[in-house]
Amino acid sequence: MLDGLLILLLFQFLGEVLIHFTGLPLPASVVGMVLLLLALMFNTPLTDRVAEASGMLIRHISLLIFPLGVGIVLQWHRYQDYALALAMAVVLGTIVTLVLVTLLLKVLLRDRGAVKGKQP
Amino acid sequence: MSGLLHTPLFGLLLTLASYRVALLIYGKVNNLPLFHPFIVAAIPVIVVLPLAGVSYSEYRQQTEVLSFLLGPATVALAWPLYRQLHTVRSVWKPVIATTVIGAALAAGISVGLAWWLGAPEQVVGSLAPKSITTPIAVEVAKSTDGLVSLTAGAVAITGIVGALLGGLIFRLLRVHDDRIRGFALGLVAHAIGTARAFEYGEKAGAFASLALGLTGLLTALALPWLWPWVSQWLFAGG
Repeated sequence: MLDGLLILLLFQFLGEVLIHFTGLPLPASVVGMVLLLLALMFNTPLTDRVAEASGMLIRHISLLIFPLGVGIVLQWHRYQDYALALAMAVVLGTIVTLVLVTLLLKVLLRDRGAVKGKQP
Repeated sequence: MSGLLHTPLFGLLLTLASYRVALLIYGKVNNLPLFHPFIVAAIPVIVVLPLAGVSYSEYRQQTEVLSFLLGPATVALAWPLYRQLHTVRSVWKPVIATTVIGAALAAGISVGLAWWLGAPEQVVGSLAPKSITTPIAVEVAKSTDGLVSLTAGAVAITGIVGALLGGLIFRLLRVHDDRIRGFALGLVAHAIGTARAFEYGEKAGAFASLALGLTGLLTALALPWLWPWVSQWLFAGG
């Protein structure tokens, strides 16, 4: 657990360092995630100890984001002028995207499905 | 006594207790997306904060430690992504193609709709990362000068809408392939969709986890570069 947290913070810090020196317009934690993914893929010693801490943080992501998300209600006066635009973009946008992505996957994965399917 | 309301202890206790009860309720209703802990936990917090005379900005300060942990939580996403990489060895081409097109659609459609309905630049920028998992979305929102609260809320609602309607959409489109159901849910509805995908089985869950990771990664890598162009194109002169 402690090892995992240490590794996660270390990689986030490495992300910060990399951004500081390169000026990349990317979030440091995302760079840290890429670095950790690479480290894992190259079987860097000890990195697999992130499992426990990762699992715990990811399981409770809703809790971590909660204080930010609740602001959409508590600061509603800042958003109410665009209520329609927001509702349409979020609700309708999600439905349309889900339909399109599903159709796209149906087309792209069909061949593979046939190859791996029951056909002789 | 009232001084106690203005310590981090108050905000953290309120948040953790509300969230704990919300988790309990979520379990009782068999993880029905409408009762997602995010929605249920919001009710006591929204009621209690004004009663206690704690402003939202003070509440944010009180719960700073939770927000800080979003950083390591984002780094942590490398682990499930790494674990799922082997599941797609055989289908990596369609997986990459769908991720690129799907991530562009997810961001583009919301941005387009919000822009068309007259939302200002900052609001549109806050919606662009709404299909990706929250910690990454919040980090990306900072890079598009978005409003992090709006992004966080939009991400949560996107996940809930996606998880609620996913089953219906798959029935209408006659989708019976767990790889498709999982990947679509993970791509569009991030962690909440992924939780829904696991109800279809391990395979759907694995594809959803992978889609969540890849979409988050791709959007985070692309949006900070693309946003200045898109924003200038949409809001030029405005």
